[in-house]
Amino acid sequence: MDMPVIFKMVDPYLIWLYRITHHGWLDFFLGTFVLALMAVIIGEFTIALVFLAARHRIEQTTGDAVRYQNMSVDALAARDKQAYSAANKLANDAFGHTFFHQIAMSAAFLWPLPFVLAWMQYRFLEVDFPIPWTGYSVNYIAMFLLVYVVAYFLFKQVKYKIPFFRRIKVILDNYKNTTSEMKTLADLHPLENPKKT
Amino acid sequence: MQKKTVLFICFLSIFTVIAVVAALAVTTPAHAMSVEQAIAQTPTGMGPGQIDPAAKPGFLGIPGAPHPFWLYGLLWAVWVGWIFSTVGAFGGIMAGVGHITIFGLADFGRAFKKTSPALNKLITDSIRVSNQWLVGLSALISSTNYYRMGRIVLPLGLFLAGGSILGAYFIPVLTAGKIKLSSYIGYFGLCVFLIAGVLFYETTEKGQSKKKAAKEAARAFEASMKKKPTEGAAPSAELTGTKITSFSFTKVKFTFYGVEFSFNPLWPVIGGFFIAALASFLGIGGGFLYVPFLTSVAGLPMYIVAGTSAVAVLVGMIVSIFSYMVVKGVPVDFMLVGFELIGIATGSFIGPYTSKYIPDVWLKRLFVILALYVGLRYTTKGFLGYSIVPPF
Repeated sequence: MDMPVIFKMVDPYLIWLYRITHHGWLDFFLGTFVLALMAVIIGEFTIALVFLAARHRIEQTTGDAVRYQNMSVDALAARDKQAYSAANKLANDAFGHTFFHQIAMSAAFLWPLPFVLAWMQYRFLEVDFPIPWTGYSVNYIAMFLLVYVVAYFLFKQVKYKIPFFRRIKVILDNYKNTTSEMKTLADLHPLENPKKT
Repeated sequence: MQKKTVLFICFLSIFTVIAVVAALAVTTPAHAMSVEQAIAQTPTGMGPGQIDPAAKPGFLGIPGAPHPFWLYGLLWAVWVGWIFSTVGAFGGIMAGVGHITIFGLADFGRAFKKTSPALNKLITDSIRVSNQWLVGLSALISSTNYYRMGRIVLPLGLFLAGGSILGAYFIPVLTAGKIKLSSYIGYFGLCVFLIAGVLFYETTEKGQSKKKAAKEAARAFEASMKKKPTEGAAPSAELTGTKITSFSFTKVKFTFYGVEFSFNPLWPVIGGFFIAALASFLGIGGGFLYVPFLTSVAGLPMYIVAGTSAVAVLVGMIVSIFSYMVVKGVPVDFMLVGFELIGIATGSFIGPYTSKYIPDVWLKRLFVILALYVGLRYTTKGFLGYSIVPPF
């Protein structure tokens, strides 16, 4: 398959990441990890930008969802089946609105991932990665997703040491102080939640 | 909380492992044809149904194939995201319309119906999986959020996902590389009619009155709670959680925090199987079928259904994408999926700002008309070979 122009431009740099130590497996993991880390950082940056742009709208829709959700839990606590069903229906409608914000936010986080997979498809489509002691193998997609998860959790450890992300954390922490907490069914359990019941 | 998290992760892991093991069991000899092999089997030349090796590579690197220009993919996805966020449905279908019609893939694939059936079917499968990547993302987001809201009930999820794994696994294994593009488009059209019906019902007086009644009941409860706060109103320890009061193979009765519900345990398995099979076959999520099925047919409360069905869709999508891509080796144009994600993000944000200027009911009616048009066009083109609505 012939690479699109954009990939031809970045390919020499990306493939260089896979030729650092000249040890096949080590190079593959190193190159894939750097790619995955870049995808995570770019995603974290764009999701933060989207959040800053739409935070007032998000506050409003999330507020409605929390209100009806809490009402349905209260109705269940009061054993009022009719009020429970009604609040539950409205909670679902309200949740629908927040859901699309979450889709937008998540797409803003995940968009670099298919582009990395697209480039890897040109380079590693024919390569099989054997699973030790099983006789089976997986393809580059499974390998990348595995490394991506590791990169995500590692970056999470240092994320708030970066000033930009620290600012986002301050905003999120303020929400927790000013908005009512969403109740769950666990709040109805007096033994597991002695403080709330 | 930690216990719940562990349970949730275990639940998803178990099904993913089952899917992987099941898929690996048949992986070795069952690979479908690669793009290169399918191209090699296609006659070369400049005519219809032929491939000119010198032509510029397009979709999946096939010479002469339409190249879904990134800007078209992006703009179409903005439209899909907008629909998703304003109507609350129809997004998966519109994504499919983009893959089938707007990017010109169906017309290109149809040309190989007789000259290269392998290439025709490979394009069909790739369209199905591209849709599922977008649907799987939505399911992942909603499952995570429903879980945080405490709305996923694992036993029901087990029944539902059990059926959905079978459906989502066997459909790709049995149909990948076998379904003609025209049949796929025909069935896709029938599914659009079904969604049009659901959307139309929501705009009728009966559909609207249910929402009004719910608002009034909620308002009344809120007023009564202001007089008498719920603090201390939690049920006693004996009433908390889900307690099964009677069990038979046809009926399970349970109290849910003191309120009684019942369901037939066979329904989630049977329903899960057929809905996941249909969703996997068409490359859609099936969430719009799970919720009415479980609330109306199985008689379960919405509180349990919405969250649990989101998990069933997620499990179904993981299994289905895995089966298509790893077991059957179906290729996907990831560049296109990437641009579509950016477009969906943009459209989902624009939607709520614009929808306040158009009443919800009229927006839905507009989409019912659009759905009828798309449904008529795809069903007749798929099954009759020509469209009875323009463009013919």
